[in-house]
Amino acid sequence: MEAPPVTMMPVTGGTINMMEYLLQGSVLDHSLESLIHRLRGLCDNMEPETFLDHEMVFLLKGQQASPFVLRARRSMDRAGAPWHLRYLGQPEMGDKNRHALVRNCVDIATSENLTDFLMEMGFRMDHEFVAKGHLFRKGIMKIVVYKIFRILVPGNTDSTEALSLSYLVELSVVAPAGQDMVSDDMRNFAEQLKPLVHLEKIDPKRLM
Amino acid sequence: MSGVRAVRISIESACEKQVQEVGLDGTETYLQPLSMSQNLARLAQRIDFSQGSGSEEEEAAGPDGDAQDWAGAGAEPDDEEGLVKFQPSLWPWDSVRNNLRSALTEMCVLYDVLSIVRDKKFMTLDPVSQDALPPKQSPQTLQLISKKKSLAGAAQILLKGAERLTKSVTENQENKLQRDFNSELLRLRQHWKLRKVGDKILGDLSYRSAGSLFPHHGTFEVIKNTDIDLDKKIPEDYCPLDVQIPSDLEGSAYIKVSIQKQAPDIGDLGTVNLFKRPLPKSKPGSPHWQTKLEAAQNVLLCKEIFAQLSREAVQIKSQIPHIVVKNQIISQPFPSLQLSISLCHSSNDKKSQKCAPEKPGPEDHLYVLEHNLHLLIREFHKQTLSSIVMPHPASAPFGHKRMRLSGPQAFDKNEINSIQSTEGLLEKIIKQAKHIFLRSRTAATIDSLASRIEDPQIQAHWSNINDVYESSVKVLITSQGYEQICKSIQLQLNIGVEQVRVVHRDGRMSQHQVHAVQQLAKVMGWQVLSFSNHVGLGPIESIGNASAITVASPSGDYAISVRNGPESGSKIMVQFPRNQCKDLPKSDVLQDSKWSHLRGPFKEVQWNKMEGRNFVYKMELLMSALSPCLL
Repeated sequence: MEAPPVTMMPVTGGTINMMEYLLQGSVLDHSLESLIHRLRGLCDNMEPETFLDHEMVFLLKGQQASPFVLRARRSMDRAGAPWHLRYLGQPEMGDKNRHALVRNCVDIATSENLTDFLMEMGFRMDHEFVAKGHLFRKGIMKIVVYKIFRILVPGNTDSTEALSLSYLVELSVVAPAGQDMVSDDMRNFAEQLKPLVHLEKIDPKRLM
Repeated sequence: MSGVRAVRISIESACEKQVQEVGLDGTETYLQPLSMSQNLARLAQRIDFSQGSGSEEEEAAGPDGDAQDWAGAGAEPDDEEGLVKFQPSLWPWDSVRNNLRSALTEMCVLYDVLSIVRDKKFMTLDPVSQDALPPKQSPQTLQLISKKKSLAGAAQILLKGAERLTKSVTENQENKLQRDFNSELLRLRQHWKLRKVGDKILGDLSYRSAGSLFPHHGTFEVIKNTDIDLDKKIPEDYCPLDVQIPSDLEGSAYIKVSIQKQAPDIGDLGTVNLFKRPLPKSKPGSPHWQTKLEAAQNVLLCKEIFAQLSREAVQIKSQIPHIVVKNQIISQPFPSLQLSISLCHSSNDKKSQKCAPEKPGPEDHLYVLEHNLHLLIREFHKQTLSSIVMPHPASAPFGHKRMRLSGPQAFDKNEINSIQSTEGLLEKIIKQAKHIFLRSRTAATIDSLASRIEDPQIQAHWSNINDVYESSVKVLITSQGYEQICKSIQLQLNIGVEQVRVVHRDGRMSQHQVHAVQQLAKVMGWQVLSFSNHVGLGPIESIGNASAITVASPSGDYAISVRNGPESGSKIMVQFPRNQCKDLPKSDVLQDSKWSHLRGPFKEVQWNKMEGRNFVYKMELLMSALSPCLL
């Protein structure tokens, strides 16, 4: 009996099919302050949230050429927060009018023995990094401004080194499939950040 | 002499060629001027070789120097000068040359003198002393003239400045539109969120940035007010800025909550009048756009409240279903009691202005509930903005922190329910309405009882600090004047949402009198002989039981017996000593006269004819009347 193939198709059945709409950009370190100020003005009125997360990317190499990728993320500064397991599908291509990158997304909260479980399942850790930055929200949109730190000694999250002199800015919405006006709202919001940061649809395949 | 350029003198001879002959047709044939060699020959013939050579050299030096000074002179005169000392009268430029030469000499001399004088070493210039000019005018006149001049100068400057100012003021008047628009826009920006889209200025008056999830866009547009005639006088309340609000938010709105006793017919539903509430007076300092925007925002909030309530009314399953009709939600918290919540939105159309504004009755509106509705929706907004919703780690979706934990920690249904506040807006409001109704009912009951029953007084003390769902009242039943001793009956009523809990401190009301007598006896020194809360003798009361007490005077002569029942009222009997009763049958058994001091038969007291404000007073009087005063 063959194992069911690891599929790249969107995960269906059970829950609602959720899609992640994504726009990305970056700012240099010295422009961070002005960007944060602007975001505080544009986004919902809350106390500014900072975060420090540690993310590990696991791969399962099957018979197919492309491996199955799962991302496990934990919060380093909030004790008691559950781990977060995420599956991101391939970006949906085709529609040039869609302003954001759309891909299937499955989010699961897990307990702390996630890494052991994944190892037992056959996943192997590909890489890990630490993300440190700020978190904003506007309605259903989430704006994250963070810096990626490379982990020098595997497993030791204290010895880190910044990957670049810039911050990554991501604007994302997780919504049920089919709601395309979400991308219009995202684009309007991105327009308001225009001179400071250009948020655009970046196709990961083109970078490789 | 600086700045004066050297003047070039150019001299030209009017060398016209000599006419040789004039042709028949008028053409003139000119004598060809002599060529150089021919000229030289001619001149050579004139030379007198007999003369000495010294003068030749002198003459040669001079004209050579002159040749440089001469500009534009032809070759002929130079040659002439250099070679021949001829008679001056024959050469036409001689006088000119001499004059120029002398002028040059003079100039050189002057230049030399001036340069020497400049050094001041060898020669100085001395002013020629002149006689003082005779003063043509007196010194005061001179001063006057000088002052006048200076004042005129100052006046000139001031006039120039004033002219500039008036120019700027007039410019201001003309550009009043342009400049005031910008300052008004600045003021608008201090209160509302604005952004520029293309060439339009849009604003946001929704509560979305405060946490609302209502899908209305809530954008308004800012436009420049250009319909102003500069010639006419600008009106007092003119504003160069105008706001255009979405058409469905025009006018004013409010939520009306009312409780009615009878349920109306179904046919009457949906005909809630849209009252045109008189427009709330704007604060004196605020511009008209502020009131307009605030009214629109209020309309939006009322719409959101009503949408939330109607959504819940439809979704929530309750025993008596709620009815949602047009702009009214009707529910029945208690049987035969109807709670109606309606959204009254009056736009500023001319049509609605025609219908006369009806004054809502005072018991119609439950303002407290309306206020609470506003507070509840604001709380709901704040909930969506609270930081417990923010995800940690950052890639997690938004949601309550504890809900995210429910998966990994395997919560069961009860735990999950405890996290989610299952109560919606509607339920909360209905609970509050029930409580209010119950409270008012209780208060009315107590008040009516208190006014009806005079003898033991009923006092109700409502506590000031209440919850929305619970109130408490302390009811004291006392007799006037004897509050301290007759404090036995105290009731505490806790009025909840659906029930009234009564906590008795002691027995019922009918026992009050008897207890009062007991206390009084203690005070007066009378002895309590018997006391019974629930007597088994006598007519049966419909509510509760009668109670009785018998007290004896300190000397033992008299005894008072009181029987009090809630229905039968009070019956007081006094027992007299035997020697006071006249109609006692004489008996031979009792020989001794001491037996006559014992108490004998009872006699009823006509209590309603007794003097005294209330029962206890009367009792006190009776007791004191029956106690012999020791004088």
